[in-house]
Amino acid sequence: MTERVEVRQNVLKENDRIAGELRRGLAERATLCLNLISSPGAGKTSILEGTLEALGGTPLRVAVLTGDIQTERDADRLKRYGFPALQITTGGTCHLDASMVQRAMASLPSPDLDLLLVENVGNLVCPASYDLGEDAKVVVLSVTEGDDKPLKYPGIFRRARLMLLHKIDLLPHTRFSRDAAVADARRVNPEIEVLETSCVSEPGLGAFVRWIEQRLAEKRQAGRPARD
Amino acid sequence: MHELSIAQSIADAAREQASLNGGRRVLRIGVRVGEISGVAADALEFCFGMTVRDTDLDGAVLELEPVPVRYRCASCRHEFHPVEFLADCPACGSTGASMVAGDELGLSFLELE
Repeated sequence: MTERVEVRQNVLKENDRIAGELRRGLAERATLCLNLISSPGAGKTSILEGTLEALGGTPLRVAVLTGDIQTERDADRLKRYGFPALQITTGGTCHLDASMVQRAMASLPSPDLDLLLVENVGNLVCPASYDLGEDAKVVVLSVTEGDDKPLKYPGIFRRARLMLLHKIDLLPHTRFSRDAAVADARRVNPEIEVLETSCVSEPGLGAFVRWIEQRLAEKRQAGRPARD
Repeated sequence: MHELSIAQSIADAAREQASLNGGRRVLRIGVRVGEISGVAADALEFCFGMTVRDTDLDGAVLELEPVPVRYRCASCRHEFHPVEFLADCPACGSTGASMVAGDELGLSFLELE
């Protein structure tokens, strides 16, 4: 005799469990964790380089985990800025999952950080499904990719807190409509925040760095015991 | 192509639930797949077959239940399937709607022997 048992369980329960552990550990240390997601070539690594350069003069303790299917090239690029940078080579897997981040974090020189930047594998689909324990997903959309991406890849735009419209200096050379991109992103995620960035000319990465500093302040505030 | 990881997670979850139910053989596994969950049904079925071959779940049927995106209007509570994610309510015309379904990826039932 067969029996049908109703089940209500997230398929990625094990990933969510590990992500929960990571999130608790990060909260205890008041570490802000950002998960950068984009298609390949949108500029994640360059954004991280610029961000690390900007944060180099501050007392902030920062570390970077950078995911790729192959090569250590990104970590080599990011190590130049004086902060620990570890490569997570997934060996074919198209996304990072929470267990990969947990293992990589154990290899960092110290878990006491103000900011942990995680660069996901270049892919607008799969990384959206995996919680890494981060405070926020940041989706990078470079203007050369086209303004139709928010509706073509709604999953990631729905789950991201911030969208960077990147390579914005190239806007005059493309048919990209910033209004359409922002409007479409807000169709799937009315709360998504939007900043414009460029690694080669104005407006630079200043807005993103300030956004990080604001989130850091919030995280510290949240971690402080309530006064009576 | 993260369907192989997803298929393995489904198999793990099904084994866990089956053992909670007396370790009976699993005949069928129901999974709700949201429209924007980012999972391709064909690839998932293919990967599931591969990942359970010659295991205790060999022969178990994966039954995928697609879940369309559904919005609920903040003003009149009407629920609707949005056209290209537009939040305009077809009932009352207001624009404040939020997504209530469509991004899930969850086990819904097991059929046990």
